[in-house]
Amino acid sequence: MAELSAARWRVTSVGEDATMEIAADDLAPSQGTRNSSVRPLERTEEQRALGQLRFEVVVDGWRFELIAERADRARLRERAHRTSSAGTAGAVTGVRAQIPGRVVTVSVAPGDIVERGQRLLSVEAMKMENEILAPRAGTITRVDVEPGDRIELGDELVTIG
Amino acid sequence: MDQSPPFKRVLVANRGEIAVRIIRACRELGCESVAVYSDADRAAPHVRAADHAVRIGPPAPGDSYLRGDRIVGAALETGADAVHPGYGFLSERADFAESCEAAGLVFVGPSPHTLAGLGDKLAARRSAARVGVPILPGTFEPAPVDPRDSLDAVMADAERIGWPLLVKAAAGGGGRGMRRVERAAELAPALVAASQEAKAAFGDGSVYLERFVEGGRHVEVQLLGDVTGNIVAVGERDCSVQRRHQKIVEEAPAPGLTAEKRRHLHALAVAVAAAVGLRNAVTAEFLLTPDGEFAFLEVNARLQVEHGVTELVADLDLVQEQISVAAGRPLSHAVVAAAARAAEPSRHAIEVRVGAEDPGRGFAPVAGILAEWREPGGPGVRVDSGVEAGTDVGTEYDPLLAKLLVVAPDRDAALARLRRALGEFHVAGIQTTLPFHLWLAEDAAFAHGQLSTDFVERHWEPATRRTRAREVAAQLVAARLADRDSAVPGGRGDHRGEGGRVASDRPAGDRLDGDRWGEIARREGVDRWPS
Repeated sequence: MAELSAARWRVTSVGEDATMEIAADDLAPSQGTRNSSVRPLERTEEQRALGQLRFEVVVDGWRFELIAERADRARLRERAHRTSSAGTAGAVTGVRAQIPGRVVTVSVAPGDIVERGQRLLSVEAMKMENEILAPRAGTITRVDVEPGDRIELGDELVTIG
Repeated sequence: MDQSPPFKRVLVANRGEIAVRIIRACRELGCESVAVYSDADRAAPHVRAADHAVRIGPPAPGDSYLRGDRIVGAALETGADAVHPGYGFLSERADFAESCEAAGLVFVGPSPHTLAGLGDKLAARRSAARVGVPILPGTFEPAPVDPRDSLDAVMADAERIGWPLLVKAAAGGGGRGMRRVERAAELAPALVAASQEAKAAFGDGSVYLERFVEGGRHVEVQLLGDVTGNIVAVGERDCSVQRRHQKIVEEAPAPGLTAEKRRHLHALAVAVAAAVGLRNAVTAEFLLTPDGEFAFLEVNARLQVEHGVTELVADLDLVQEQISVAAGRPLSHAVVAAAARAAEPSRHAIEVRVGAEDPGRGFAPVAGILAEWREPGGPGVRVDSGVEAGTDVGTEYDPLLAKLLVVAPDRDAALARLRRALGEFHVAGIQTTLPFHLWLAEDAAFAHGQLSTDFVERHWEPATRRTRAREVAAQLVAARLADRDSAVPGGRGDHRGEGGRVASDRPAGDRLDGDRWGEIARREGVDRWPS
């Protein structure tokens, strides 16, 4: 429970440059409940895959379309995005842990040829099983973990050559 | 008094809230109603409300609600004996009134002849001056627009009027074809710009000059006249709170006037209307200068959007009176009684126009589906609306969704009631003007009656209010997610729990291609919206 109450959320307002990070601890439930409504909206496939949620919130008549996701996941996604976009074809790409947790399955071995988006391994974190996918196509040159290993944020997991 | 229905069947040549409003009056009078609708309004509330409904064309107003021939055809086809034009669309078109009469239909409004004369604001200015009603210093003839014409003469007029001044379209309305000119150098280009805009909007590029009064108030008088030439004032309204020269909040009576001042204003209005031979429902608009003087601006020979505040204060149904007068009946006892007490009103009413507009972006129109729509109710609250949950708000028509009106024994009580009612008004799916109204209802300057036509420009600062609301919105989302995570045992956080209540919606604001924006911008008389 401690882990959950400490969760931080990143909330982005669609159509404008506004991103807010809010810890569940910061919440003052009475604030803003006057004249407000929250309505879940349908998500795109991509938002679903990223674990993002979409809401329409109306406060004092102002309407916002908000996308919410866990702040830690958002940061990891951004870092992973930076890493993958930095690596050009033929370069070596290290796949790192985007979340601390425990390795559940490892689906690849050195020498395997993988497609972009192919499952490499799954990690359990915050009671969720997360798949880690290949950021690009290539050949697996190293696998640094095996099922049951505890991993920390940023640990090297798999290397794609 | 004649209690029989004035007409057998009345065709309502309009849409939205005003069509619903007129249909309600017809029903109470015992007249059947005929709605007309474009393809966009097939399932609109006004269509369901009426006894009969006739399709008149595709969504574009030029193909439907402005097609006088089809509307007259629909009236004949359904056996209607009168046509009520509402406001906007064909309500002030003399040729439409004429074709109604030619087809043997009663046009609920002034005679075609009077309408033709009224289109020209300069003619009304001349009439007012002739009967000694004060007007603002300005010109009486169209100003030469082409700089090759004698600009010297216009400049002499301008110097006599003084700076700043307004260039106004003679055929204008709604702020179109209007330019504020600060100094001599700006006059020539303003004449050209205003004239072109007027030509595009009204087919008539005539413009004239009028003094601009800083801090003035817009006060208008509601008049009713019958065929015998009897014309009375039933009260005045203050419509100073405007955006883009268009009214957004109106109240009756105008705050801060003595009974004597009120009586004087009503007499001026009656004098002007009589001078131009008006009948039916007429509004005479005045500017109330900061020194407390009235100056006549123009007359409108149709039902006004804001007629409801007068109805609530005067205890009248103006639409029923319009229909009754159109049938040739004299002014009713109720009207005569209301006129007798008009200078000493015992109630106060306020109306706010709830529109599909973004008050955080210069009131730019928005489009989308009204995912949720809940109107307020309770004592002293009236909502005139033409939409409901599920309505697809397009950009073909005026962005007005509903009018919220409140009435109470005095202005403070009316404001309290307005705040309460606004709190009950819930809309989701698209942005509306509600944040503006919520602010206004709590604003100290408004509460003190410090009104002026530049009130919105001077006082409305949406940025910080919106940012604060956005922070609260983000917290509400986070609170909801935290609640859900702790409520679901072993919640796995993939949030599929929301699945059952996922609403089908379309995001607003991004459905407007470039052409559409151009269309809206022309209609609203702006060059661009603030980002």
